[in-house]
Amino acid sequence: MRIRTTREQHILRFKTTLRWMIYYLLIFISFIIMTSGTLYKPILLVPLAVGIAVNNNIYASAVTGAICGFLIDICCGKLFGYNAVILTVFCIAANLVFELYLKDRFINYFIITAAAAFLQCWLDYKFYYQIWDYEHVGRIFRKVSMKVWLYTVISSVFVFLVLKLVNRLLMPREHLTIEEAINTNIQTENRR
Amino acid sequence: MRDFLKSTRFKILLGFLAFLVGIMIYAVTKGGYSVSGASFINTITKPFRAASNGISMKMEGTVDKLSNADKYYEENQKLKKQIGELNAQLTEYDAIKAEVEELRKFVSIKEEHEDYMLSQPCGVLGYVTNDPFKSFTIDKGSADGILVNCPVVTAEGLVGITVEVSEHVSTVRTILSPDLSVAAMASSSSADQGIIEGNVLSSESGQTKLIHVPKKNKLKRGDLMITTGTSGLFPKDYPIGTILDIGLDSNGLSVCADIQPCVDVTRLTSVIVITDFSGKKEEDKDED
Repeated sequence: MRIRTTREQHILRFKTTLRWMIYYLLIFISFIIMTSGTLYKPILLVPLAVGIAVNNNIYASAVTGAICGFLIDICCGKLFGYNAVILTVFCIAANLVFELYLKDRFINYFIITAAAAFLQCWLDYKFYYQIWDYEHVGRIFRKVSMKVWLYTVISSVFVFLVLKLVNRLLMPREHLTIEEAINTNIQTENRR
Repeated sequence: MRDFLKSTRFKILLGFLAFLVGIMIYAVTKGGYSVSGASFINTITKPFRAASNGISMKMEGTVDKLSNADKYYEENQKLKKQIGELNAQLTEYDAIKAEVEELRKFVSIKEEHEDYMLSQPCGVLGYVTNDPFKSFTIDKGSADGILVNCPVVTAEGLVGITVEVSEHVSTVRTILSPDLSVAAMASSSSADQGIIEGNVLSSESGQTKLIHVPKKNKLKRGDLMITTGTSGLFPKDYPIGTILDIGLDSNGLSVCADIQPCVDVTRLTSVIVITDFSGKKEEDKDED
């Protein structure tokens, strides 16, 4: 890889800082949305945490997952740290899966988010309702958990678009050497 | 000139003037009512005068607008600002009015139950996200004398109990929750007792359930259920809700009833916490 000039390094640092500031601003806005009103709402922080995790390094993903999890615990009145643990695991897993097996495509993100959100809702139902064996407890899964999961999956489309925009503008791109650029070009020509 | 003064023309004019003066004097004697001639003229000329006046006013208005445009613009801006200020004052007034009404209700609680130690009115910060039993957080905590397991009420009735208390925020579990059981009796007869406990089905419609009522009872629709105060968690004789429907429990051994809480717990803006009352559980006092 080409050695970056000092100016390029400064720009890179500035963009990275700005990107993370926007990520956390989005997290804050999602938290505010989640805490307002009395209707059932999507757990916006799940698609947001997963979306951030798939495009960044594993440590940052884990920390973001934990922070989003803590915020979910606060607004959903759950045991402090419960969702933090779950979301940290999800974020690390999503990061690894995207790094090793999947490409950065919408459909992949959508499937991963849907799975993560489902697991989060299911675990929430298991630990907070079913375990206590309330009468007609199944209704909570059908009428609350599934509704929230559906809302979360739908909201993930918008979250993806916002994150895509932020990443397109502020995510540093890999610099190619002339040789690498030529090789890439040759490979593309060959494919055609 | 001398010729004119001696002429008939002058005499006619003088006579005419005298006639006019005479009319004037006559008009004075009418005490404010117009003489018939004037009235006739007024009637005849009225539409023409109205039309002419209208045109002239319009023209004057147009000229005025053009000549005083700057002045009017400034005045308009000033008035707009004034309206904004008045609207803000009105909003503030409405908020204060609502607050005063709310406080008046809370004062009535203290008047009715002198043994209660009440917290300051607590604003509802928000409902716990996606909680089917409508738990909520309030803006007062341990710094305001609130402890865990303090009853939360409004002037209308019981709302729930504090379950998590931090310095400035507390979480309230409502009577819709299956995790909160309140011993209750009918206000008409203390013999008819049962437990009011939330239920998944009932909570969907903002109701709760009265369970474990003996088969032999005199409960009927519309009966008001109040707290018994036996547990020491809730004060005695505080309204909870009214009976909507009565039926047999699923086990067939006891009677249950649907209860419509006195308070719509899904739309609360402020509540009050009873921090102490006579008959409160001793354990809590020891913990203090």
